[in-house]
Amino acid sequence: MIGAFRFAIFGLILLIIFYFLVSIYSRSVQRETLEKRFDAGGVEGDRDAYIAQGMAVYEKSLRKRLIWLVFVIPMVFVGVTVYLVNYQ
Amino acid sequence: MWRKIKWGLGLLVVTLVAAFLHYTLPQRDVVRITNTYNRLTTVGTENSWAYASPDSGTAESVQTRDIRFIEAIRPNNRVIVYRNEDTGWVWPPYFKYDSSNLQAEASNARSTSAAPEWVVVTHYGWRVPLISIYPNAVKVTPVSGPDVSLIPWLNMVILLALGLFLVMLWRMLAQFHERTIDPALDRIGDTIDEVDARADGLWARFSGWLNSWKGKPRR
Repeated sequence: MIGAFRFAIFGLILLIIFYFLVSIYSRSVQRETLEKRFDAGGVEGDRDAYIAQGMAVYEKSLRKRLIWLVFVIPMVFVGVTVYLVNYQ
Repeated sequence: MWRKIKWGLGLLVVTLVAAFLHYTLPQRDVVRITNTYNRLTTVGTENSWAYASPDSGTAESVQTRDIRFIEAIRPNNRVIVYRNEDTGWVWPPYFKYDSSNLQAEASNARSTSAAPEWVVVTHYGWRVPLISIYPNAVKVTPVSGPDVSLIPWLNMVILLALGLFLVMLWRMLAQFHERTIDPALDRIGDTIDEVDARADGLWARFSGWLNSWKGKPRR
């Protein structure tokens, strides 16, 4: 039982770290895309303002919310494994 | 020479990873269970890695413990012996804590060669008699006969997921390199160039000043 708690706590810490790493990665990819789109030309206005606005849109996007799957998928995996191994 | 060493090391790593996955991933055997029992077993230093860690449910002691075993026979008449231990909560990630129930199911599925009952035993691990290690049985499921064909869908999904995870890590590292490390290195390079240029300017002024002490060429 203690083992289960320890596993849950350390697993959660690992998942939180991984969540932040994936968030940083995703944001970086988004910024790069915006920069390239602006630099390709055909966009009016200030470069920094364009990128800031694009990032604001990203912060509310579905892609950003999908990063929560970092928590969901491993937890579902563990839950399904526990069920299949012990209760079927 | 170095090429060969590099290839050798690469081959070694691939072999180790493959062996690790082969040990850890679930496998299924079609067998007929012939006996189930407990045996007092001493776990030594050479094989303790293939037994449950001492803090998991069924392992009461580090060295000598009562372990449940399941003896079975394959359709080709070769025998196999499984151990039946809890796995604990870290590795391998089966989270198994129902060894007693599994032992009861296995005992219930015992049969004789005269009236065979075939089962699929899901397990992980290896049977190596030389160092006395046994695969750990995880699940026992009745099947109709010894000829059922089993497709390892679960292993395909796990390997695919592992592959995707590695690609993801690789992409993340590449992005970090491209967007954070390289610009930083560029900045350092620029700073060094600037310092260099400023030093050049200083040197030119200094040598100009030195030259100003020289006498004018005589006519």
